[in-house]
Amino acid sequence: MRNKTKNQNKKEKEKKNEKEISDECTKEEDGKVLQFLDSMDSYLTLMDSLSSTLRQGWIELASARYSMGASRVTSALYDLKLHPAVTTLQVRQLDGESPRQDPMVEEPHFTLSRWLYSSEDYCYSRETGSDEADPKNKNSSSLLRHRGTSQYPDDKEFRRKASPVSPRSPLTGDDQVQKERSKSLSVFGKLVSPKLREAQVSFETALETLIKIANVRSLMLSAHAQVQQDLHGTFDLCYNSRKIGKDGSCKHY
Amino acid sequence: MANKPQIPTSNSALIAMIADEDTITGFLLAGVGNVDLRRKTNYLIVDSKTTVKAIEDAFKEFTTKEDIAIVLISQYVANMIRFLVDSYNKPIPAILEIPSKEHPYDPTHDSVLSRVKYLFSSESVASERR
Repeated sequence: MRNKTKNQNKKEKEKKNEKEISDECTKEEDGKVLQFLDSMDSYLTLMDSLSSTLRQGWIELASARYSMGASRVTSALYDLKLHPAVTTLQVRQLDGESPRQDPMVEEPHFTLSRWLYSSEDYCYSRETGSDEADPKNKNSSSLLRHRGTSQYPDDKEFRRKASPVSPRSPLTGDDQVQKERSKSLSVFGKLVSPKLREAQVSFETALETLIKIANVRSLMLSAHAQVQQDLHGTFDLCYNSRKIGKDGSCKHY
Repeated sequence: MANKPQIPTSNSALIAMIADEDTITGFLLAGVGNVDLRRKTNYLIVDSKTTVKAIEDAFKEFTTKEDIAIVLISQYVANMIRFLVDSYNKPIPAILEIPSKEHPYDPTHDSVLSRVKYLFSSESVASERR
């Protein structure tokens, strides 16, 4: 009688432990599903925001075209002389828990470097991570980097940061950014419509939103892969223990 | 984890664009435009005269270049080469479908959302195995 009670207690304890482990697993799975749904919601919200920012940019571009003339606001004005991009990206890999099978879910992380200025003396860039909200914030952090004096040995060299050299005439960070912005506008002529400047700001904002979208996209694909892996794992467990209902759902006993 | 393929990290990767003229002009204003030594640009302007082959070639070129991290493509252009876009499965460059002036963003056509909508379909994993 005593042994029977002891065995019963042992079984009850084992059941309790199993239930606790099962609850932990369910919590973890629920967390992954929530992460996936959150990232999907962020993706759609950011896409909405991008649409309205782009719409504003197009309207401003159309206004600039109306005031300056159609022939003065066109991409044909950008000639095909060697011209490196002044807004680039930094790509890093995040250490995620995504499964190895799907190459799309390697979780790259993108950071925008705006108005990268290169000269013989100075290289200035303003980095915008995925969290920076206001593109007009002039107090955001800036980095000053020095570059070598070589004149475009090849494309990558031109964009890469080289060893430090002594500056001739240091300019403040914001001055550099304004200089690069003006350079970009000067393609359309010396005097440009204020609407064109506004369009430039709108498209800069759109760029930042796009970087956020790219990062959320990585998260979403990674979370999706994890949820799918869990689903397959649960199905295999049910299938092997023959606990499939008529509708294909897993029955918990 | 130990054998996970590495994403090529970069400090100055480019953003490529395949879109209509106004979208390209706007992003060129933002400083994204790049012309290399061979006079090749990181963008393709799509208009009524642009052929599907030209779009396909540009997409393939941008997705195989090592210095491009993101490819922006107008969704209506992506629809012209949908098979190519949907079958693309590398993490870098990331393909982002964006709206255009005449074609607003449609989530049902987005290739990323198409990949994940499987989880919400009535066809479950179990029915796939039947």
